[in-house]
Amino acid sequence: MSDERIDVNDVLKLPLQTTSQAKAVADKVPSLEQGRLTVFDPAADNPEKLVRLMRERLTRALAVSLTGCVHCGLCAEACHYALTRPDDPAMTPAHKADQIRRIFKRRIDWTGRVLPSLVHAGAPQTVDELNELKNMVFGTCSACRRCTYNCPMGVDNAALIRFARGILTELGIVPEGVFNVSRDQWETGNQMGVSETDYLETLDWVKEDLQAELGNPDIEIPVDRENCDFMYSLNPREIKFDPRSVSNAAKVFAAAGESWTLPSFGWDQTNFGLFSGDDKLGGYVARNLYEAAVKLKAKRIVISECGHGYRSSRWEGYNWAKYDQDLPSESVIMTLIRYIHEGRIKVDPTKNALPVTFHDSCNIARSGDLVEEPRWILKRVCADFREMEPHGRENFCCTGGSGLLSMAEYRPLRLEVAKIKAEQLKATGAKLVCTICHNCVDGLNDVIKHYKLGMKVVQVLDLVAEALVPNA
Amino acid sequence: MSRTLSVLENEVQIVALVFMATVYVLRLFWLFRFRSAPERTYPAGSAAAGVGWSMMNVAMPWAMESTRKKPFFYVQFVLFHVGVVLAITATFIIPYWPQVFERAPVVRGFQLALGAAFAVGLLRLYRRLTTPALRLISTADDYLSLSLMILFFLAGVVAMPNRPADGEWPLIAFFGLTAFFLVYVPFSKICHYLYYPFTRFYFGRMQGHRGVVAKNRRLP
Repeated sequence: MSDERIDVNDVLKLPLQTTSQAKAVADKVPSLEQGRLTVFDPAADNPEKLVRLMRERLTRALAVSLTGCVHCGLCAEACHYALTRPDDPAMTPAHKADQIRRIFKRRIDWTGRVLPSLVHAGAPQTVDELNELKNMVFGTCSACRRCTYNCPMGVDNAALIRFARGILTELGIVPEGVFNVSRDQWETGNQMGVSETDYLETLDWVKEDLQAELGNPDIEIPVDRENCDFMYSLNPREIKFDPRSVSNAAKVFAAAGESWTLPSFGWDQTNFGLFSGDDKLGGYVARNLYEAAVKLKAKRIVISECGHGYRSSRWEGYNWAKYDQDLPSESVIMTLIRYIHEGRIKVDPTKNALPVTFHDSCNIARSGDLVEEPRWILKRVCADFREMEPHGRENFCCTGGSGLLSMAEYRPLRLEVAKIKAEQLKATGAKLVCTICHNCVDGLNDVIKHYKLGMKVVQVLDLVAEALVPNA
Repeated sequence: MSRTLSVLENEVQIVALVFMATVYVLRLFWLFRFRSAPERTYPAGSAAAGVGWSMMNVAMPWAMESTRKKPFFYVQFVLFHVGVVLAITATFIIPYWPQVFERAPVVRGFQLALGAAFAVGLLRLYRRLTTPALRLISTADDYLSLSLMILFFLAGVVAMPNRPADGEWPLIAFFGLTAFFLVYVPFSKICHYLYYPFTRFYFGRMQGHRGVVAKNRRLP
């Protein structure tokens, strides 16, 4: 295992890059002109703006998390950054959250103002301090919520990190990667900037390839079909880099005789608003999805395998969009369970003979409701399933969560702290690591490559498609 | 009993208690001024069951990896907080039901519990001073609160026989510290027990509603 050591001060001092922001201003990007996307304004009183936004956005749940920490330090026992760097106290989740807490105590919590020095209260005065806060909340935490589960008080550090990210995003004090992806999602409705033409053309050739592969010209990838049993939603990564995933879904849906459709717009179930903390963006993207399903008179929304996409579309998006849920929505994992249970598809586990382990996506295991479900499927489609330790709600992050994959400047630290994940994967002796998250696929591939583990990352749909037994 | 001790055990405590209660009430009003975000999704579990699970987390050391792996840490937590409860109880027993402490086994029981809490307090202080991560996150209030608690437990052990005739200083120290605590607590981390139901409620409600815990779905 690699033992590269990053100086965290170098990470915290990484400068604020605004090249992409300047380009967006020069290009007169519509979302910028409309005030939906914001850029850094050096002339503004940014420290004061931060406090104002804090006041406006604080909810009661966040306020109690800000007041409730007793500094017991147990969170350090749960965080992969702190566990991998035990001699680096700055990696302690409570310390990261304290950078937000001290502002709250100094400017908003009246008991903190009585004796500020007693509770380490203090507000940032300069942009450099805000930039350091940016590097702390974006670069040293994957918001995996593992520490939250290990907090005796129930303090939600991950929610505090997201809260701080959202405010900094509003100030334009964000990593370039976050700005770029947010811009793409505002502009095109999907986070990879896939145009409608590219999207439809990709679906067309995926369909043609699948028809040829199965020798069945009737197989379809329907778009904008009304009154279907469900509207399927995708991660743009599936269109841009992994169309095999769409193909596998279409194959399984066809085998099950499913009535389904994709929308031509509102198909992106991922949501960078979760990572940037921007509820406006989060609400916009989620609403596109919900409204597309209503427009197509679909009976349900089915969300393809994606951790943050599932969390955003199934849970957070309705709240961000202030949209009362009007249709059932589920992960494709639940759809697959139904198919297997009802005998709509038949599977042969011997077709997946290699040992498989399962990596739980943080956004699903700790912020969603699927832990036993993917395992239920894997035990039926794989001959040799092995748990990794710890697993389920206690599994470690792939280390690429919370948008970290789009922030190249934090990659060295991310890979250093991935050591714990690498050791966890290696100990299983599995050849395949399965996950239900496209983000985790990329995160795990990075870890596997960096630590030379020689494993392959797959998803549940891949294994189900492989195990399919043609109907007699 | 001297007039000084009598006033300290009664009037001073009542004034300090009223002060603390007033700050707590103001504090709760302040907390309720923050908006509560409504939940707009269909549930996958039970929010109420989630809240129950979350509130009871304190009594389930197996539920958290951190306490499951460090059972001694959990034992320390229990001893420390039992000590807190008994010390506070003693501040009411001594002025209002002094006959309770006329029984030697009760006095010994209280002293043993407070002595254990005192020892745990010292361990916790040592841990806070020697663990780099804890040193970094510790504020002056963290040190002051813990140090005062240690002194409070020690004062409690010495004061517990409640025999002012043998010397009033242990009782003066114990009730002096109590009065100080009542005034100081609302501004310190010690009032975390006021927030515990809130943090646990919101965390449990979300996790229960989503079915992360207390799921209402069964696999076939």
